[in-house]
Amino acid sequence: MAASGVAAPTRTEVLQLYRSLLRVARQFCDYNIREYSKRRTIDAFRDNKNLTDPSQLSAAFSDGKAQLEVAKRQALVYSLYAPKVKSIMDIKPS
Amino acid sequence: RAQVAALIGASPKEIVFTSGATESNNISIKGVMHFYKDKKRHVITTQTEHKCVLDSCRHLQQEGFEVTYLPVGSDGLIDLDRLRKEIRPDTGLISVMAVNNEIGVVQPVEAIGQICKEFNVPFHTDAAQALGKIKVDVEKWNVSLMSLSGHKIYGPKGVGALYMRRRPRIRVEPQMNGGGQERGIRSGTVPTPLVVGMGAACELAMKEMEYDEKRIKGLQERLLNGIREKIDGVLVNGSMDRRYVGNLNLSFAYVEGESLLMGLKEVAVSSGSACTSASLEPSYVLRALGVDEDMAHTSIRFGIGRFTTEEEIDRAVELTVKQVEKLREMSPLYEMVKEGIDIKQIQWAQH
Repeated sequence: MAASGVAAPTRTEVLQLYRSLLRVARQFCDYNIREYSKRRTIDAFRDNKNLTDPSQLSAAFSDGKAQLEVAKRQALVYSLYAPKVKSIMDIKPS
Repeated sequence: RAQVAALIGASPKEIVFTSGATESNNISIKGVMHFYKDKKRHVITTQTEHKCVLDSCRHLQQEGFEVTYLPVGSDGLIDLDRLRKEIRPDTGLISVMAVNNEIGVVQPVEAIGQICKEFNVPFHTDAAQALGKIKVDVEKWNVSLMSLSGHKIYGPKGVGALYMRRRPRIRVEPQMNGGGQERGIRSGTVPTPLVVGMGAACELAMKEMEYDEKRIKGLQERLLNGIREKIDGVLVNGSMDRRYVGNLNLSFAYVEGESLLMGLKEVAVSSGSACTSASLEPSYVLRALGVDEDMAHTSIRFGIGRFTTEEEIDRAVELTVKQVEKLREMSPLYEMVKEGIDIKQIQWAQH
């Protein structure tokens, strides 16, 4: 990974990535995957909050972008084969 | 191949892909004993192994081999001294699973590995439930053979792997003959999509193991404490110290297992009984633990994983407590216990 040549992401870019990941997470029709995507995004960004070294920042940012691509693709595939029955956790008690 | 090897501390050349841990177990047990059948006629395993291991051993017994099934203590762990005593000059294999699928206990694999090294007996372990969940190291454990499963680490179903040590080399008689794929150990076209899936799952498991373990431990405590706060007479089956955090096998006194299961429709749990057999007998694993018949019937296994949420745990606690209380309310036995009568002293009248 040629991280030395890549500039560290700006604060705006990081926040944009964070919001995109959470937005995609909401698109999952499967309860468990949706919750996992949200939770993992929040925890990962929190863990990396204090990074200062530019190469580490770039690496984490690229990793996040790669995960975003995976999530986008998978949210689409899951929606194509969405089961008719929702998870019990998604059904609000009447 | 490298991804799978990295997760267990092996070389990619030592990984053979199979259709699953069941097949890997078959190759290990039957393959090793058939290869060394002239000199080695004895196998040692435990009473709590997975059905495929026990069945392969039974098959070997029918062929004339001798098998020793080591008993386990009430905590689910084997007695190492007993193991030493059972080793004979013609022992060809010792097979002990790393993490039990029903009760979640982690066997002392490092110590077993040392014993095997001392007596120069090949050590096979079924690590299907251990992979990606606890630290697996083939060198530290001194294993010669290890069965791995794809779908247990969130990979695809239908794929698994077998680790086969090269130094010193362990030989097996192949169970699938044909074109010689996988170094002649397992012929048949290697299912590329499944294998790629398993590799990716292994790589992810390595990255996420610490994060997952911490989270799942918290959830397990939340589940157990949540239930124990509301009801008594809850027993954990298997050692609490040497256990994988994602498995909780509980017995509820004075409650019948199948009715509890029917009441827990919204929670995906399995009862201690029907999981491996079609009959309603209590599970052989619990019986091996020495659990009382009535407690064995009432056991429930909760599984917690990477995708389990806190809300699901809370809902499971709520449903379980409600069901147990309801069943105990209806139970005349429980009434008697509350009045102070010792159930074991009752003389049941014949009708």
